[in-house]
Amino acid sequence: MYRQKYLFLTPGLIALVAIILFPLLFTIRVSFSGWDVYNPGLSWKGGQNFSRLMADSRYWAALGRLSVMAVGTVLIQYVLGFALALLVWRDVIARRFFRVLFLVPMMTTPVIMSVIWRTIFHESLGPLNPIIRGLGLPGVPWLSDPVWAFVAVMLVEIWQWTPFMFLLLLAGLLSLPSEPYLAARIDGAGPVRTFFSVTFPGLAAISVGAIVIRLIEASKILDTVYVMTSGGPGESTETASYYIYIRGLRDFQIGYSAALSIIYLVIMIVALTIIAKLLVRFLVRPAP
Amino acid sequence: MARIELDHLAHSYAPDAPDPAWALRPIDMVWEDGGTYALLGPSGCGKSTMLNIISGLLRPSQGRVLFDGRDVTALDTGRRNIAQVFQVPVIYTSMTVAQNLAFPLVCRKVAPAIIRRRVGDIAERLGLAPHLQRSAVGLTADHKQLVSLGRGLVREDVSAILLDEPLTVIDPQMKFELRKILKQINEEFGITMVLVTHDQNEAMTFARTVVVMNHGEVVQAGTPQDLFEHPATTHVGYFIGSPAMNFVEARLEGGMVRAPALGLARAAPAGLAGGDLALGFRPEHLAPDGPGQRVGGRVTRIWFEGLEEVAEIARDDATFRARVPSGMFRTGDDATLALPDDRLLVYREGRLVV
Repeated sequence: MYRQKYLFLTPGLIALVAIILFPLLFTIRVSFSGWDVYNPGLSWKGGQNFSRLMADSRYWAALGRLSVMAVGTVLIQYVLGFALALLVWRDVIARRFFRVLFLVPMMTTPVIMSVIWRTIFHESLGPLNPIIRGLGLPGVPWLSDPVWAFVAVMLVEIWQWTPFMFLLLLAGLLSLPSEPYLAARIDGAGPVRTFFSVTFPGLAAISVGAIVIRLIEASKILDTVYVMTSGGPGESTETASYYIYIRGLRDFQIGYSAALSIIYLVIMIVALTIIAKLLVRFLVRPAP
Repeated sequence: MARIELDHLAHSYAPDAPDPAWALRPIDMVWEDGGTYALLGPSGCGKSTMLNIISGLLRPSQGRVLFDGRDVTALDTGRRNIAQVFQVPVIYTSMTVAQNLAFPLVCRKVAPAIIRRRVGDIAERLGLAPHLQRSAVGLTADHKQLVSLGRGLVREDVSAILLDEPLTVIDPQMKFELRKILKQINEEFGITMVLVTHDQNEAMTFARTVVVMNHGEVVQAGTPQDLFEHPATTHVGYFIGSPAMNFVEARLEGGMVRAPALGLARAAPAGLAGGDLALGFRPEHLAPDGPGQRVGGRVTRIWFEGLEEVAEIARDDATFRARVPSGMFRTGDDATLALPDDRLLVYREGRLVV
């Protein structure tokens, strides 16, 4: 019967293969090759890249750092975004102004803003340390101390992407029906109980969506690290994608960086699937 | 449980405007303890506004609300001890049925042992006992509505249950069941119940007193029988009864109110001034024969309604409807029916004179 359906499916399938499948398959092929600056081309090295990768402690350390950074920033973004959305949800003065203001960081270009932030964090010339000293506290070695540099990168990430959480959660809040709130008032619930019984469960599904989207995005963090610290001091702010960038585009070990990318992709898919499932179980799915 | 009094109550959503549009015009009304009341009227007539004022979700622009003589106008809704069931079933999605039912008591810090007993009793009464440990999200619409109702009933001292079109989203079959449960609960617990609806059938079968509203005003309050036999205005006549009441233009002639279009007449009451007059009669009060005046014309349409039919009968420019035994007429027949004199009502400027 519907034999012509393949005719209509073909353009879409071609685009799918060309855009998604081909680069992926090519990367997998490259990851088995010894392609580098001395021997460019698709040679065959078998699993050598992968066995080297298993022993590459710098890669695993970068992955560990990335997980801390991604989970940490996204959780803080979620809490802040939720708080801001609650702030301008109901009738407050200049509600529209604040709604736009809270979105501004997201509309800026990450690279440019990282440059600005690097200047702000500058230990002797930036404006931040004088302010801190003015408050009677000691100055902070923002970009030269391993821990503080990590904190600084996280701060910029949080600043830039909290508006995204804010936007999604505000949209969620605005779509909540009013009857449960009236019912909660009639049942005698106070504001805190109303939040945990009505608002939070009402936003559970959208929260999971927002957190997962942000985790995927946050795992790719590269530009902020590149501009602010270049992974330093030492390797203290080096994330997985930044390490892959170093191996691929600075050392031109194309084959090895392809192997790193593939393993990174597999780990991400597994980790995000588990996280999404856990979030759904604890936030969305009702009690048995 | 309480006797509810509305004292000069009025509400406008923009009370400071130079010409405020009244959602509810000034009104005085008493709802007796344990009674069943229905607020009936078209959308936007002010019935939900009135309900929200009683439950305390809305502060009236004027007047007072009294529960058992106590002024509660300024009291928050939680402290009025009112239960309200909304059109859309409201459940707390993260909780089980038992937790939902317990919620108002938990909010009021009642002892756990008492909560368990009350929840058990009410669940048993509403037929929710088998579902107690289930998540409330998975219930059907009518069970969810029962949970909403149950949250009102778990409080032993609840003043009244306000029902804001609670049966709209329920299947017809379950509607009947739910209405029965509501009536039983009213009889068992003696709780005042106020039902808001635009369905006259629902109002007439549920309530002992039906309050008909239009444009923010109470047009008539009375028993279903009263509303049917003596509609206070032509609006009530149209709104109550199916098919609607027949009205025909009339004029005052020598002590008689005459409707020449249908050849009907009745003696004018003493002191009736002229103006916009009409005669009204119910399609149900026309009989194949018997005492009274004759009214007739040509049958133009027939609606089948089981053992009975509704016939539309036209004479010159005027038409009227009659409820007659099935098969009595066919379209195109000439029909003559009898109308008892006391069933012919006189209206002036849309209001019942006699």
